[in-house]
Amino acid sequence: MCRIGAIKSKRKLHPSIALKLMRSQQEGHDDSGFAFVMQDMGGLFENYKDLPLLSMAATVEGTRLAEDILRELGFSRVMQWSPDINNRKGLKIEAMPNYMFEVLQYPKSYKHATKEEKEELLIDTAIRLRKTLEETNSGFIYSFWPDVLTLKEIGSPRDIGTYFNLWEGNKDLTASIITAQCRQNTNYDIVRYAAHPFFLEGYTGLVNGENTFYEKNRDYQERLYKGYIGFESDSQCLLYTLHYINKILKWPLKYFKHTITPLSYDEIIQREDSEILLRIKASLANLEINGPNTFLAVTPDKELLCVCDSKKLRPVVIGKDDDTVIMTSEVAGINDLMPDRDITQDIYPNEHETIVVKDDLTIERWQQ
Amino acid sequence: MTCKIKTLNNNNRMSTQELLQTISRKIEEGVTDFEIDACGQHDIGGSCWSKEGKPLKFTITNPGQRVGAMAMDGTKIVVEGSAPADVGWLNSGGEIVVKGDGGDTSAHCAAGGKIYIGGRVGTRSGALMKHDPKFEPPEFWVLKNTGSFSFEFMSGGIAVVCGDGCGELPSVLGNRSCVGMVGGVVYVRGKVEGLANCVEKVKLDKLDKDFLKSGMELFLEKIGRLELKDELLDFSKWVKIIPLPKELKEKKISVKEFKEKEWFKEGLFGDLVEDDGAVYELAQTGDGRLRKPVWDEKLCVGCDLCLSNCPQKAVIKEDKTYKSVDEKCIGCGICSAVCPREAWRMV
Amino acid sequence: MAAVKVNEIHKNDLPWIIEYDESKCIQCGKCVAACSFNAIRPAVELRKSNSITNKGKTERVLVIKQNISLDNYCRGCGMCANVCPNGAIKAVRNRDDKYSVVYRAVKADSFKKGGRSNLNTEGRTLDKIKIGRISQMTDPSLDAQRHTFELRTPFGRVLKADKLNFGKEGEALIETSKLPPNRWIYPVIFGDMSIGAVSWRMWEAMAIATAYLNEVMGIPIRMCTGEGGIPTKLLKSRYVKYMILQIASGHFGWNRIIKAMPDMTEDPAGILIKIGQGAKPGDGGLLLASKVARYVQEIRGVPKADLLSPPTHQGLYSIEESVQKMFLSMNAAFNFKVPVAIKVAASVTSVSVYNNLLRDPYNIVGGFFLDGLAAGTGAAHEISLNHTGHPITSKLRDCYLAAVHQGRQGEIPLFAGGGLGQSGSFAADAFKLICLGANGVFTGRMLMEIAGCVGSDTGKCNACNTGLCPAGIAAQNDNLVKRLDVDKVAQNLVNYILATDIELKKLMAPIGCSSLPIGRSDALITVDKHISNRLDIQYGC
Repeated sequence: MCRIGAIKSKRKLHPSIALKLMRSQQEGHDDSGFAFVMQDMGGLFENYKDLPLLSMAATVEGTRLAEDILRELGFSRVMQWSPDINNRKGLKIEAMPNYMFEVLQYPKSYKHATKEEKEELLIDTAIRLRKTLEETNSGFIYSFWPDVLTLKEIGSPRDIGTYFNLWEGNKDLTASIITAQCRQNTNYDIVRYAAHPFFLEGYTGLVNGENTFYEKNRDYQERLYKGYIGFESDSQCLLYTLHYINKILKWPLKYFKHTITPLSYDEIIQREDSEILLRIKASLANLEINGPNTFLAVTPDKELLCVCDSKKLRPVVIGKDDDTVIMTSEVAGINDLMPDRDITQDIYPNEHETIVVKDDLTIERWQQ
Repeated sequence: MTCKIKTLNNNNRMSTQELLQTISRKIEEGVTDFEIDACGQHDIGGSCWSKEGKPLKFTITNPGQRVGAMAMDGTKIVVEGSAPADVGWLNSGGEIVVKGDGGDTSAHCAAGGKIYIGGRVGTRSGALMKHDPKFEPPEFWVLKNTGSFSFEFMSGGIAVVCGDGCGELPSVLGNRSCVGMVGGVVYVRGKVEGLANCVEKVKLDKLDKDFLKSGMELFLEKIGRLELKDELLDFSKWVKIIPLPKELKEKKISVKEFKEKEWFKEGLFGDLVEDDGAVYELAQTGDGRLRKPVWDEKLCVGCDLCLSNCPQKAVIKEDKTYKSVDEKCIGCGICSAVCPREAWRMV
Repeated sequence: MAAVKVNEIHKNDLPWIIEYDESKCIQCGKCVAACSFNAIRPAVELRKSNSITNKGKTERVLVIKQNISLDNYCRGCGMCANVCPNGAIKAVRNRDDKYSVVYRAVKADSFKKGGRSNLNTEGRTLDKIKIGRISQMTDPSLDAQRHTFELRTPFGRVLKADKLNFGKEGEALIETSKLPPNRWIYPVIFGDMSIGAVSWRMWEAMAIATAYLNEVMGIPIRMCTGEGGIPTKLLKSRYVKYMILQIASGHFGWNRIIKAMPDMTEDPAGILIKIGQGAKPGDGGLLLASKVARYVQEIRGVPKADLLSPPTHQGLYSIEESVQKMFLSMNAAFNFKVPVAIKVAASVTSVSVYNNLLRDPYNIVGGFFLDGLAAGTGAAHEISLNHTGHPITSKLRDCYLAAVHQGRQGEIPLFAGGGLGQSGSFAADAFKLICLGANGVFTGRMLMEIAGCVGSDTGKCNACNTGLCPAGIAAQNDNLVKRLDVDKVAQNLVNYILATDIELKKLMAPIGCSSLPIGRSDALITVDKHISNRLDIQYGC
């Protein structure tokens, strides 16, 4: 099992909060890794929101290859940040030689490009970088998108925190949305790409669960969109489906739940929108998820999303105070960070629910 | 003597293993009263006892999963806020009070003791609760509601779900609760929808009301909500859920009955074939024979071999006329076989 | 006594030899009365007496004898043994059988039979596949008896999501264009057996079981009518919504269907255009005159004669024409509200047919039924039955993977049939085919067996073509038909489906699936390396 969390705040928060959120849930994961995605950046990145931010971990060779590609495409570096590494002895971490967090300027030829054209450039570049790094076994690219920073590493979350000096908060590395997960492995290998949160074109997803329809999902998604690659984890499928529904098909978010855990035929025919729901159930049957899951996500509109499998087999709880909302696997994590909140306002999503935290932190509960 | 344990020092968190071993060492040293400032450690308060049989008391903040799991007679646990999954799993005799919410599968497999929840509990809570007749039945009290699939496969014990403040919920027990329930009782106040069809909702009788009256006050006192007493003891909103006796489980009509009541009166082919529905034997008499004997007077020599050999006694003789009685004859052709003159022919 | 010559037919040429124990026989005659093939007869034997009083004299003894004939011969159905009170008679397989050789030599005609292929040289792939991925720690398996499962599959053309052309009304999607009809049905379809191929009682029992399963048990099973017409009563009743009407190359019975259309209150469940069948691919339907009973003549609109359907639909020269003529017309007949599917025999060419249908721009193909060579038939030339066709499993898989390759899996639902349940586990066969990519399965064979068919894959009975079915299933002789107990057969069909339903769940539960595992080949393993390579499933040993 893994433990997951998503935090959205009116303040800019440092990733130390993610470490603390995960700390009390330690027995729920296997101490094999820690990863987080920050969105809506503050601090050093506050002034570069419209420019793509590259998050990568690579060898010296990988770094060089990536920079060559970026230069060839016409990207130019605007700002670079490196974590303050504490490489003290005895830390349980498998660190990479270089961690690149770079803000880049679009190529000159993109001066008048539309948003869509720029997005296309970013996904194509990310795919190319990934391919090159994979072929040369020289590193990993986690995200390449404006206002998004990703860090993933293998090891004990506590030590990863120490290594990157993340336990002490500071004002340089902050964001209003942080999603994090403890545990790095899949059921098979320990792979960096398999670590949630996954990011694709403004959507972030993380899962505590198993997707028994993984192969079915993968067989379908592999041919659905060029960005649906990797599949190191059965959980990536959930993010890709969210992306497909919301970004490619441009359907409202509520249809995501109808896609991954469709209602039964008998339930659907009682409803006024039965025609639509049956069509979705048939046309997107290959995107159905079976197995136990809690899925947390961030949308490009900076909304948080939470859905569970249709048997509600995995835990999740949502707590809130005046300026922050936290979604996480176990209430212990929220208790640690917000001991004084009104616990009667805690939300335990049910099997038919989609919980959406709007940008102003109001929480909507949609019944499927 | 109260032993206070703080489980977090700077960024170092005491693991569950360390904490539980510390507790057990302290109990051996004679400590019976614990105040634990937890950080999500599992199994706190469960499966421990003092050798002298003294009661143990745990006051806990922020426990992890399975608080009070396998709790024993004489153990009292109070959780000041909410607790994650599996509160009181396999509770065998402990008294567990959670003032906030309980997570999924609270009271799972509890077979003794009492679990009091001051908020709501998650899915599959109360699943597989049991009652060992040698001991008191387990009790599981919840102030608000449960998640879906609660009380699955429940086979004994008593659960009370008070539905406090749940007016807007479609069902106080979520959806599809009590699936596979074969024993025990669940008292519920408020709306209940989507129950499994193996249980029934019945009105409370006097014994039920007495039980709730005596238990409610204690429950509310434990969770510090005594002000709700009058409201919750208004019995008009309560029902009791018990397993349906086997003979009352939904009985469906048979195919034969369906055919008689719903199907085409004359049969689907009634206007195309003659068929009264009779089912023929392999050796059928009458019109149902595959072959029939025909007698030819001109060939007959009156030897009576057919008469004496017919196994069905179907051949009769009137004057000099032989006849095969349709109602007896099965068309075996023995009359024809034994006839020396082929006076019987099978057609 | 007649002289015996070498070049005449002998008992030893026949496939079955009657073993008769005179000492147990009480001469009740029931075996003869029961024999629908007229393969035995009572006879008087002349013997020398051994008794003290009549010693040496000739005496006449009544016995049961086997008929030695090319036309009336024993099929081994076993009815004589069933009816005998003393176990005095039974049919025993003749291992030196030369019947089909003699038949061809005498009649200068191809040998015909019913039932199924008796060669079975290909072995059973499905038995070498196991459900090997069991959910244990990582994802909980489910409880087959108590959890909710959904056993429904779409039937009808499914469009890719980006072709649905949904519009938006606020936060709700709405339909903006008419979409192809799509139904959600049980993944088992009662296979297409025509009125004529089976008796009226058998057909009615299947229809009752279908109606009962739908209306009382809530199992949305569908029955395909076969191509032998449908009683007008049924067409005009509510039950027609459970019926998939079949049209094959003979177009039998369609006049009455068309005439009934204005009075139909419900749409049928679908239309199935039969192009070919697995038991005798490349050959048309064959209903021998002996089975063309009066009511069959009436609803088919034919005289009493051998009814041979052409091997192909005349007028269909290309796949495009097929699609337009058959699919378009059949869609139009019910105003594009009823899914129209096609049934073909599994063949090396199945994938190209499937690909062509997938690419049809009008989206009017609602299902692809693939019938394997182990399928049964009412009548066929033995040469077709034993030597033509393609096993179902790899061809179903090929079609599914061809769709996957194009990202179009599920767009034309696949249904597989042909020899399912052959080794006794119908649900397991169905489940494995679903994991390999089928949306569902169809079966005729199981229905026959449930109804009391005495035939086997090793030459027992297989006389469906004669109309003399001793169980009344494929019979058209009134007195044989009436042996079949409609109530019991309908009840047994219902029971079998209820059992299958439990068993399907019993397989879905351990792999952690609450909905049908269509295409979940990751759940399968095989103990055969070749099968592993061919089907792209894990090898286990």
